[in-house]
Amino acid sequence: MSVSTAELDRARAGALGLIRSELLKIRTTNAWWWFALGMLGWTLIALAFNMWFAYFAFNDPGMLGPEAGGFTSPEYHASNIYTSGQFLGLMFVMLIGILMVTNEFFHQTATATFLTTPRRTVVIMSKLVTAVLIGMAFAVVITAIDLAAGAVFFHTQDLGTMLGEWPVQRAILLNLVAFGVWTIFGVAIGTLITNQLAATITAAVLYLVGTQLAQVAFFVLSAWLDSEAVLHWQVIVPSTASQVMTLGGEGIPGSPEWWVGALVLLGYAVVAGVVGTLITRKRDIS
Amino acid sequence: MSDGQIVISGLSKRYRSVRAVDNLSLTVEPGRVTGFLGPNGAGKTTTLRMLLDLVTPTGGSATISGRRYADLTQPLRHVGAVLEASSAHRGRTGRNHLRVICAAAGFPPRRVDEMLHLVGLTPAGRRKFKGYSLGMRQRLGIAQAMLGDPKVLILDEPANGLDPEGIRWMRDLLTRLAEEGRTVLVSSHLLSEMQMLADDVVIIANGRLVTHGTVSTVVDGIAHPGTVRARTPDAEKLAAALDADATVTPGSDGALLVTGVDAPAVGAAALRAGVELHELVTERPDLERAFLELTSGKAGVR
Ligand SMILES: Nc1ncnc2c1ncn2[C@@H]1O[C@H](COP(=O)(O)OP(=O)(O)OP(=O)(O)O)[C@@H](O)[C@H]1O
Ligand SMILES: [Mg+2]
Repeated sequence: MSVSTAELDRARAGALGLIRSELLKIRTTNAWWWFALGMLGWTLIALAFNMWFAYFAFNDPGMLGPEAGGFTSPEYHASNIYTSGQFLGLMFVMLIGILMVTNEFFHQTATATFLTTPRRTVVIMSKLVTAVLIGMAFAVVITAIDLAAGAVFFHTQDLGTMLGEWPVQRAILLNLVAFGVWTIFGVAIGTLITNQLAATITAAVLYLVGTQLAQVAFFVLSAWLDSEAVLHWQVIVPSTASQVMTLGGEGIPGSPEWWVGALVLLGYAVVAGVVGTLITRKRDIS
Repeated sequence: MSDGQIVISGLSKRYRSVRAVDNLSLTVEPGRVTGFLGPNGAGKTTTLRMLLDLVTPTGGSATISGRRYADLTQPLRHVGAVLEASSAHRGRTGRNHLRVICAAAGFPPRRVDEMLHLVGLTPAGRRKFKGYSLGMRQRLGIAQAMLGDPKVLILDEPANGLDPEGIRWMRDLLTRLAEEGRTVLVSSHLLSEMQMLADDVVIIANGRLVTHGTVSTVVDGIAHPGTVRARTPDAEKLAAALDADATVTPGSDGALLVTGVDAPAVGAAALRAGVELHELVTERPDLERAFLELTSGKAGVR
């Protein structure tokens, strides 16, 4: 039966409809599929590597060199193995967030989107919510794989599952949070840099080498100012903040508490989201 | 739902040094097809995008049924638009493109297939947008605009790329929609098509209003009355027989073009002189001629 005008009159654009629309945008293109495959592949590689590392740390610590002391803790390895795939996974979900926005400009679908929902803040909000849902969905799948593989591994090492330890549980939960926050970042970056190529390349490069570059810069600065305290400020770099949050700052000298990283990350996400929304509201769609 | 009248008042858009639209005021009435004409770069697309709140004006305002587009409670139910650059994701099927919009607007998903059927894209709807011809893209744009069965239709060069059958289909569709009491505002460069389709025309150039009125007042408003074309084997004798008001110029195809007198006067002169006539017609000024005269010197892409 054909759709009546009364039915059209009743139609209202609700939050659920907008989220369904954003999910449909993703499901009806091929890109997400490649991201899913990439993430799965990377997670399996990371899992294999982390388990190999843990195996040697438990069974042949001498191989890891004289400083291996800190790396023989089963808790450290449990956190590491149960969050395998995080490094590139976060980048992938950030890229998905970026594409959710830049695709609209690249394919000029922004016109149809804003004609349907002229309140642009509402559009960005529904993209943010959808991005978080997708980021979480990916994180849940990855974590499920990590849990299955990790539990088997720790059993073979006669360590139980290690899942009863709070630091391990915390690492797993914060890993999920990190996936959500980085997709928000992605959406925000997309609204700030609408050129698809520029946005994806900038974000990927900053993510992949940003931490290292910042580390070098902070060491130089600290030597120059002759101050150790400067190193604490590394946490203002988003990827470092993310590491501080999820790993409790392993390997970063003078690392602050995990929640400092979480707050910094949240701060960035809010600022980027607000600035991006304000810019999008003013932008001419032509 | 209120009346569907479009009111543009003092609308301006400035891009750095270019005044794309310059203090434009006009109203577009429901129940009529209004042609929106102007040379390239006149500001048609910019005006339509400001009307739809896609581009922010630097001055003035534009309302549909008394409201800004962004303030309409159900924008797609009220207004349907086919814009020049309206486009879909290249890797998405036409049908999925419409499903995305339906979901966001809250329309029943069944509406998608109905609209694909309306524009004749039912089989192609399941193919990816990147494989669509220009005409298929226009049809998808029309399907998109019709999703909400809107009261007001705004179309930017919709005939662009349509085949003759498609153009005729579009003409019938827009005429029918206007007859149903809807507002139809359509920009185009196809002036003979517009003459057939439009009730009213708005002509702009350089971002400013040139003229606005019914097609016949605009066409008749230009200074020259009709030219009479006469074909005869004895051109000199006929020219001599015409009275002094007539100006005769030889046409390129051997016919005579007579201005200053009407066709009956030419016929009577031919009878008096005993000259054989093979053709005698009054060439009415048409929309194309009116357009070219009204915008001459103002054209030129900025
Ligand atoms: N985003 C923009 N930035 C700078 N100038 C612009 C922009 N959009 C339009 N213009 C300028 O505004 C003027 C009007 O352009 P517009 O596209 O509205 O013309 P039009 O009447 O639709 O022309 P056409 O018949 O060629 O489609 C042109 O001079 C154009 O160069
Ligand atoms: Mg145009």
